[in-house]
Amino acid sequence: MSTASIAQALNEQRGGFDFELAKRNAALEGAGMKVPRATKTGTTIVGMVYKDGVVLGADTRSTQGPTVADKNCQKIHYIADNIWCCGAGTAADTEFTTALISSKVELHRMATGKQPRLVTALTMLKRLLFRYQGHVGAALILGGVDCNGPALYQVYPHGSTDYLPYVTMGSGSVNAMAIFESEYKDGLTQEEAMKLVHKAVLSGIFNDLGSGSNVDLCVITREGHTLHRGYDQPNPRRFRYPGGFTYTNGTTPTLSSSFTPSRTPAAVVGGAGMEVDA
Amino acid sequence: MFGMANDFTHREIMDPMSVMHTARQLGSASICDVDLSQPVSLGTSIMAVEFDGGVVCGADSRTSTGSYIANRVSDKITALDEQIYTMRSGSAADTQAVSDYVRYYLDMHRNQTQKPTAVKTAAKLVSMLLYENKSMLMGEMIVAGWDAHNGGQVYKCAMGGSLIRRPYSTGGSGSIFIAAHCEHTFRPGMTRQQAIDFVDNALRLAMASDGSSGGSVRKVVIDASGVERTYTGGVF
Amino acid sequence: METMSRDVAAMSGYGASSAAAGPTMHQWSPYVMNSGTVMAICGKDFAVIAGDTRMSVGYQIQSRNVGKLLKVTDKAVLGTGGHCQADTLNLQKLLRARMVQYEHQNGKTPKTSAVAQLVSQMLYGRRFFPLLTKNIVAGLDEDGVGCVYTFDVVGCLERVRVACDGSAEELIQPVLDNLLERQHQQDKPKPPPLHVDLSREDVVNIVKDAFTSAGERDITTGDHVDIWVIDASGVHQEKFDLKYD
Repeated sequence: MSTASIAQALNEQRGGFDFELAKRNAALEGAGMKVPRATKTGTTIVGMVYKDGVVLGADTRSTQGPTVADKNCQKIHYIADNIWCCGAGTAADTEFTTALISSKVELHRMATGKQPRLVTALTMLKRLLFRYQGHVGAALILGGVDCNGPALYQVYPHGSTDYLPYVTMGSGSVNAMAIFESEYKDGLTQEEAMKLVHKAVLSGIFNDLGSGSNVDLCVITREGHTLHRGYDQPNPRRFRYPGGFTYTNGTTPTLSSSFTPSRTPAAVVGGAGMEVDA
Repeated sequence: MFGMANDFTHREIMDPMSVMHTARQLGSASICDVDLSQPVSLGTSIMAVEFDGGVVCGADSRTSTGSYIANRVSDKITALDEQIYTMRSGSAADTQAVSDYVRYYLDMHRNQTQKPTAVKTAAKLVSMLLYENKSMLMGEMIVAGWDAHNGGQVYKCAMGGSLIRRPYSTGGSGSIFIAAHCEHTFRPGMTRQQAIDFVDNALRLAMASDGSSGGSVRKVVIDASGVERTYTGGVF
Repeated sequence: METMSRDVAAMSGYGASSAAAGPTMHQWSPYVMNSGTVMAICGKDFAVIAGDTRMSVGYQIQSRNVGKLLKVTDKAVLGTGGHCQADTLNLQKLLRARMVQYEHQNGKTPKTSAVAQLVSQMLYGRRFFPLLTKNIVAGLDEDGVGCVYTFDVVGCLERVRVACDGSAEELIQPVLDNLLERQHQQDKPKPPPLHVDLSREDVVNIVKDAFTSAGERDITTGDHVDIWVIDASGVHQEKFDLKYD
C-alpha cells in the first residue's frame, strides 16, 4: 500500500471496525494458518442490589487457555460516576465496549445536563452488542444508581438483557450464584451486602480455575461511588527460594564489545515500573 | 409506563431448538460450563387467549443458556403499547430487539394519530420485522391486547413472518406438550375467570412436562378497564 | 523426539468454543485430561520427586488432594503428571501387581532401573491405544546414587538428572535446565554425569519455588505438593501448601 493510499484509508476511516483483512485472513485460515486467540477473562463477576445502592464485585485473573495472562487485572469498568460495569468474556471487547459507551454517556450527560440513567447506558450497550450478533464477546453486569434508585442489569454478548436483584457472569458464575441463591435477602445493609458479594467472588476464585487472585468491589449509592481495588487479597505468594537466585557478572559471556557515546544523552522521565508480583 | 426501567428490560428468548441444545450440552464433558458463545435462549411456554371483552397473556419465567438457568424470574410478557403486549420465545436478543423497535414505532404512530393504537397494527409491525429480517431473526412472538374496535385479540407471529389471528395461541418449546389439552378444554366465549384458569392450567402442565420451561407463572389480563399483572412464584 | 503430546493439547478442553465454526461435530473420545505437574531431581545420594495434588477437568476442580506419586519399592517412586487420572490408577494397579510377582519369582525387590524398564514396557504395550500418562521414576540406583528416569506416553525411556512432566512442564523445565544443568551459565561448573551437585536442602527448596511459581501462572497446578525424598534410609514424605485459587 502506498503512502498516499494509507493516508486516504486513514482519512476515510472515521471510527468503527476495519474489515480490510477479513478476506485475507479467511484465506490464510483456510490454508491451515493458526489464528491467534484473544485473551479471555475466565472470570467471576457479580452484582447485587441492597437497601441504598448496588455492590459490584470481580476477581482479578485473566487467562489464555490454562495460562494466567494477568494476575491482577481490573474487571470493574467506569461508565459514569453513578454507573459502573463488570466485564467477562473477551478482555479486549469488554474494555473497548465499556470505554466506548462511557464516552457516549458522558457526551449525553453534557448535552442534557442531567445525571445519566442506567437504561441509557443499557440501551447503548445492547444495541451495540446486538448489531455485532455475538461477535463482540462482552458479557456485562451493569449496576448503579439513578433517578429511579439502585438498579442492576445483566447483558449477554448477543445483546439480550435481564433486570435482576443479584446477578453473576463468567466461568465462575455458577459458583457465585450458589452463594447468592442460598444467602441473598432483600433490603440488606451496605456492610452485609459487601460481605455477601465478597463471599460470592471468593467462591468463584477458589472453585473455578478460570478465576483467581484478588477481590475488587465497587459500591455505588446515591451519594457516589467507592471503588475498592484489592478489597481482599487472599492469594499472596507463599514461598521463595531462600536468598533468591543470583547470577554473577559474566554468566552470559561477552563475545565482543564497542562503545559509541551518544551525542545527546537520553533521559527517561517518569514511567511506571513493571509489576512483578500480584 | 414505558419509561419504567422494569418494563424496558425484562426479556429473554425462546428457542425451538433449545431442547436439542440442552441435550447436546448435557452429553458433552463439562456440564457446568457457561458457554457465552451460545446465544441466551428461551426454552419457553407462552400463550394468550381471548375472552369475552379482553385477553389473558401467560408465560413461564425461565431463561437458559444450555443447561444453565440464566434467569429464573424473567419477564417474557413485554409491553408494546398501553393495552398491547407481546410474549416472546426464541432468541432473547432477537425478540428484545424486535419489541424495542415495535414499541418505538407504536409510540411515534400514537403521537401522530393521537388515537389509541389497534392491536392488529402492532401485530403487523412485529410480523413485518420478522418477515423482512427472516434470515437474521430466530423468534416466535404472540401479540395480544385490547382495542375499542375489535375488543380482545390474539395474533401469532411465527418465525419467517406469518401472521394469524386465533382465539387462543400457544408458543415455545412447552407448547407441543399442551396442544391436545388446549384443543380439548378451550371454549369460545369464556368469561374472564375461565380464561385465566385456562391459561394457568395449561402453563402449569407445560412447565411440568417441558424441562426448559419453568420458574413461575406470569400473567397479564387486558380488557377495556385496563391491565392487571399477576405473578405466581415457585410453581416449578 | 516426537511424542504424542498433540493429543494432550487437543484433549485439554481449554480451546475456544467451536460454536463460531458451525455445527458441533461429536466424536468418541475415551480420554479426559485431569492435568497437574510432577518433577524429579536426583543428587549424589538422594532423589527428590514431587507432584501437585490438584485434579481438574476444564475449569472445574475435582479434588484438591489426589496424589500423583506411588512408592514402588523402598528405593523407587513413580510420579505421574499431565494425566488422565483413570489411566494413572490403572497403571499404578498393574505396576503394584507386577512388583509382587517379581518379588515372588525372584525373592528380591527389583532395582530402580528394572522398575523403569518395566514401566517403559508396560507403556509400549499400549503403543496403539496409549495410557494418557506422563511418567517419571525417581530413586536410588544399585550404587546408592540418585537416579531419575523419564518416559513419553508410549514408553521412550531416558535416564536424566532433572525432569518435569505435565501441565507446567513448559514453565518449570527451562528453569531446571538453567539452575541445575547450568545451561546458559558458561562460567559455572557443569554437574557430574549422573546427578546434580546441590545439597538435599537446596534441591527441596528449588522444588518448592518451582511449584509455587508454576502455581502463579498455571491454573491447573495448585492446592498442595507432595515432596518425597528417597535416600538410603527410605522414602521421606512431606506435604507443602500451594494456593487454592
